[in-house]
Amino acid sequence: MNRKTNLLLAVALTVAAVAGRAGYAHAMMQTDTSAELRATGQVGEQANGYLGIVESAPSEIRARVNAVNIRRRAAYTELAGKRRVQIEEVAATMACELLATSVAPGQYYRLADGEWRQRQGNAPVRRPAYCI
Amino acid sequence: MKDAKVNEVRLDRTRMGKALPLAGMLLLPMLTGCVKVSAPDRPIEINLNINIKQEVVVRLTEDVRELRQKEPGVF
Repeated sequence: MNRKTNLLLAVALTVAAVAGRAGYAHAMMQTDTSAELRATGQVGEQANGYLGIVESAPSEIRARVNAVNIRRRAAYTELAGKRRVQIEEVAATMACELLATSVAPGQYYRLADGEWRQRQGNAPVRRPAYCI
Repeated sequence: MKDAKVNEVRLDRTRMGKALPLAGMLLLPMLTGCVKVSAPDRPIEINLNINIKQEVVVRLTEDVRELRQKEPGVF
């Protein structure tokens, strides 16, 4: 390695670091997006407590759904540990809440039968029998 | 000849000694950023059929409401 290669390496690393930071900031800015994602009509709430892709969606939307779901799972896992219950139980309870309050008219949701349903006007969203 | 090689190795080491911490300093913030951004290749897919008793839902409802308040945007 001569001095020139060292310099080149340093420049390359700096560029990579800056690019990584920019990507990170971009991702952080896009984290508060559940409502936004549901509003696209390409994303819906599911009985399992996670967002789902309704039919198909561009990779940008899929990536954001994934990011939200990862944060959801982390939150469910933490609460499940605290209350000594299954992660799925926390997630399902959250789904009951989200289905009751966060699916706007025209938006989509999916229950255990696997069918995506669109909320019609102000009609209440169907929920699993165990929801209170 | 042997001596020359040894010297070369030493030279390389001193250069690496300078380059490595510098690379580390530049890479570290990038790596921590990557850890938070990286998503698995496959989306989280979990069975939609959930086996849960209503009493558990009753017990957890207040907790999940708090969780929602705490993390707006995620839910």
